Amino acid sequence: MKQRSKHFSKIATQRMRLYAAVRKFFNEQKFLEVETPHLVRYPDPEPTFDLFLTNVRINEETKPGYLSTSPEFFMKRLVAEGIERQFQITKAFRNGELGSSTHNPEFSILEWYRAPADYTAIMDDCEALLRYIAQYFNAWKTANQEPTPEQIAVASAEVAYKGTVYDLSKPWERVSVAHLFEKYVGIPQHVLLNSAEFTSAVAQKGYAVGNASFQELFDQVFLNEIEPNLGVKQPTIVYDYLASQAALAQLKPSDTRFAERFEFYIAGLELGNAFSELTDASLQRDRFTDQNKERTKLGKHDVGIDEDFLAAVERMPATAGIAVGLDRLLMVFMDTTDIHSVVLFPADTLFS
Amino acid sequence: MRMTIKAGNIRKGMYILFKNQPHLVTKTDFMSPGKGSAFMRCKLKGVQSGATQEFTFKSAESVEQVDVTSVKMQFLYRDGSDFVFMDNQSFEQATIPESLVGEQGVLLTPDVSVYIVQYEDKPIGVSFPDKIKLKVTEAVDADSGNTVGQAKKTVTLETGYEIQVPVFIKQGETIIVDTNTLSYFSRAN
Repeated sequence: MKQRSKHFSKIATQRMRLYAAVRKFFNEQKFLEVETPHLVRYPDPEPTFDLFLTNVRINEETKPGYLSTSPEFFMKRLVAEGIERQFQITKAFRNGELGSSTHNPEFSILEWYRAPADYTAIMDDCEALLRYIAQYFNAWKTANQEPTPEQIAVASAEVAYKGTVYDLSKPWERVSVAHLFEKYVGIPQHVLLNSAEFTSAVAQKGYAVGNASFQELFDQVFLNEIEPNLGVKQPTIVYDYLASQAALAQLKPSDTRFAERFEFYIAGLELGNAFSELTDASLQRDRFTDQNKERTKLGKHDVGIDEDFLAAVERMPATAGIAVGLDRLLMVFMDTTDIHSVVLFPADTLFS
Repeated sequence: MRMTIKAGNIRKGMYILFKNQPHLVTKTDFMSPGKGSAFMRCKLKGVQSGATQEFTFKSAESVEQVDVTSVKMQFLYRDGSDFVFMDNQSFEQATIPESLVGEQGVLLTPDVSVYIVQYEDKPIGVSFPDKIKLKVTEAVDADSGNTVGQAKKTVTLETGYEIQVPVFIKQGETIIVDTNTLSYFSRAN
């Protein structure tokens, strides 16, 4: 086969193998696969999102329509309708994310929800899912055909990424955001929790503070000093973000300065973002209102509030869910650091 | 000359001031963490130190782009630990210490032209062509009966530099050397 054809067939094959493993894993655990809209009327009002906006025609009238940044709102509506174990493999869209080795403006997401549950149940799911995927890939390699459940069960759960062999049958490292700032940045929890003190500590380290927001400085320090250390020997779960950093999450009952949110990393690559979902509709409405105000301040338009979603939040049981970047997960299983090597037609090549 | 730009506009190949030192940007990567704003992760090579490091800027952060000039010059000769170059247009000469020439200095012959990188009229580095042709002046012919499992041998080049090459390379041949790795690339013809 020609080099070019090999490139395409390898990506197509490995991607479908990944999706097959995901579907088998969730089907075995009696999760229902669902499909929700890409084109939506009310997107997530998260202020940093740069949205794809279009017009939806209804006879002579038009209404704004957006490409969805995540299937979250619809999947939570389904939880409220009683579908308490569900997953979805879908596309999500975020504008302005070209020229990157880890982003594509149209990207593939795996999202799942379970109820009744909190975020610790999703942490366990992540460990079990990645272990299963590794075993599936390894069993395929050995059998050289679709492996049987027995072959998958006995296969090795090792995956080699960026020169490190990860044994995914072992439990992952779990570490809190506050602990990471203390350990790698030397910023203690009380400073992290005080925006003014945090800003001056970061300025002292030589960062350009200017009129940057707390969140920008938090992210910049995290990207420079913490992220490269995450998931180095084993996957790392980073949990308990600040309360301000999780608009759709439940606050931690034992310490409301933090929210029940986690992300997980392999070799410095962020792969997923999870919450214990907020089930207080009036609090959710306040957060959306604040986010729309912030959007206006940033020169973006107010996208309104999804009332059907808020009605669902009101009725939702204790729920936890996660979004996992499937392109990035494929990067790990294809051992590449560039998203262009796992997407058949990257947006960079379509819009260059 | 300096110009202030937004970090989001940093591109590979630019020179920027980082911690007050000129750095060459060798790689850029756009990042947007979770639900955060945009960042630019850059790989930076210190022009003077040669050291490489990564730094992630806020996209909106101001960065000083520096205008370095580079002048094409031909290598003339070594003078102790200095290297003497000449501009073939103006016939001006420049003496550059070994510390700025770097380890690639072992590949210089009077046929080679390089770019002398200057910042605020002072030389701050030497930019080599990616490949340089050099003659093999000393090589032992590989014993034809004894080449199994012995793919490489050491030969001496006209500059005195010793290098690993495939066993079929003979004395008097010209080879191409990769200046980034200081290693054999191919035969010259």
